[in-house]
Amino acid sequence: MSPIILTLKERPKVPLEAETVTPDAFVTMSNAQIRESLVYHGKRHCRLDDFFDVTGEYSDDIEMHGDLHQVKLLGKSMSRGQLKIHGSVGMHLGADMRGGRIEVTGDAGDWIGAEMLNGFIHVHGNGGGQIGAAYRGSLRGMRNGTIIIGGTAGLEVGMRMRRGTIIVGGKVRDFCGLQMKGGTIVLMSGAEIRTGAWMVRGTILSLQPLPLMPTFVASGHYNPSFIDLYARELRTHGITLPNNPSVGNWARHCGDTSIPGRGEILIWNPANQIPKD
Amino acid sequence: MYWGGNPAECHPRHFTKYTLMQKSKFLPRGRKDRTMILVDIRETKSGGAADIFLQIRPGKDFEVLTILRAILKGQHVNESAIAETGLTLEQLTDFIDRAKKAKFGCMFFGMGLSMTRGKHMNSAALLTLAAELNAFTKFVAMPMRGHGNVTGADVIMRWQTGFPFGITFNRGYPRYNPGEFSTVDVLVRGDTDAALILGADPGATMPQPAIDHLARIPTIVLDPKVTHTSRLARVHITTSVAGISAPGTAYRMDEIPLPLKPALKSPYPTDQEVVRRINEAVARKSHWIPDGGPMTILQR
Repeated sequence: MSPIILTLKERPKVPLEAETVTPDAFVTMSNAQIRESLVYHGKRHCRLDDFFDVTGEYSDDIEMHGDLHQVKLLGKSMSRGQLKIHGSVGMHLGADMRGGRIEVTGDAGDWIGAEMLNGFIHVHGNGGGQIGAAYRGSLRGMRNGTIIIGGTAGLEVGMRMRRGTIIVGGKVRDFCGLQMKGGTIVLMSGAEIRTGAWMVRGTILSLQPLPLMPTFVASGHYNPSFIDLYARELRTHGITLPNNPSVGNWARHCGDTSIPGRGEILIWNPANQIPKD
Repeated sequence: MYWGGNPAECHPRHFTKYTLMQKSKFLPRGRKDRTMILVDIRETKSGGAADIFLQIRPGKDFEVLTILRAILKGQHVNESAIAETGLTLEQLTDFIDRAKKAKFGCMFFGMGLSMTRGKHMNSAALLTLAAELNAFTKFVAMPMRGHGNVTGADVIMRWQTGFPFGITFNRGYPRYNPGEFSTVDVLVRGDTDAALILGADPGATMPQPAIDHLARIPTIVLDPKVTHTSRLARVHITTSVAGISAPGTAYRMDEIPLPLKPALKSPYPTDQEVVRRINEAVARKSHWIPDGGPMTILQR
């Protein structure tokens, strides 16, 4: 099945809301139907082909080309197929996603995979804030699936997430894992302040030292066996997670006691920096 | 308790008329029956009126509030990390003990809390602490607003849409997402191609990228006077001053509506009159929504 290719021909002046661009919808559509798909340019109802050149039909494999940083809600609620974006993309990428795969070669805006239920999102560039988070007023963020961000990420990554995995290659800003209820966040380059604030459960792994909230309690050093399982899974995505006792160990911090929560932050201690206690 | 505010200089009638000096049936001795705690990063004029002044390090508000929540629940807190906030465990424990023993506590928070690093989460931390103190005694929290009638805008938006701010109507119904639809974020990202400013001066208060964007796009300002924003706007419509030469309603900080009666006549139209005439002119334009499309609130 050849992919449906959408090429941006006119950059929208104001945000374009294009939640109709999903493999679930396009797999049953002819080329003419795809071109007729409704998108919102600000307040105006437009056709997809007002902004994109469309080739292909009846496929759940979509490729998009161009600077799409003003295009929001791509892949919203998708449950199958693949969406590959060559360039940058706007907010709410893969929000409420249920399955399938999204790949972005550039940067992505805020709310990537917000409240997603399953699926896989890989952003090679930087991500915005609220990745895998719950929308304002909502109790639960992402409930399953995997999000990988190659570069940096913004505020409130994994806010109120319930399950699933988020991996961020670059530095993450404040409130990572805010009110987290479960799942795992892996920080390859650490985070700024207030990591794990108000977390109830879940695990945050950091390969770099983190400034911790006063409401986290140091709970020893160890090499948990579940890290080996994570490491094996993440190796398939090209990410290496250390857990060999001869190389170092993990410092465990429990909290947040203000809730009181039972979350944990594990910070990697290389062997040459392990405190003697 | 005042947190990140300086009412002695910014709300000079607050102590005497509402919080400290008033005598009442249950507090007949007025000020002597009350305890005031001030939390701020520096000593201000309000410190003179406070029984207890807690000076915290800048940017540590969220941490202190979270520690207070942990102490309230009898949980362990890392004592060396408390020292980084500029306070001691004894000070914070004393704070919680007093709060628990109070018959009716009220927390007021200013921009020193809500506009520093952490922003909405700082406010959320204080509101959550107030909510959790209600397990022991009655406690409420209220923001100390900066500009005139900000509360009015929040109340009206809440009443009309269910949300106080950060709302879009582009689908014909209100959607709420602060950070995405709030004015400052929309302007900083350059998401708008026109702006209508009513009774506000974002040109004086918003970050430079937002001001630059306002200067780039067609901006219309309705204001009685020349402001930073009106100078960069394409159109400035001078309107009469509400409460002096135009009637209206202003909302007090505690959301009490106060009717305004004009004392003078003005040659200028009111904001309401200008917006009504703009609406009428827009309604006369041809309909652009395709058949069967949703109608907007304005068009209903």
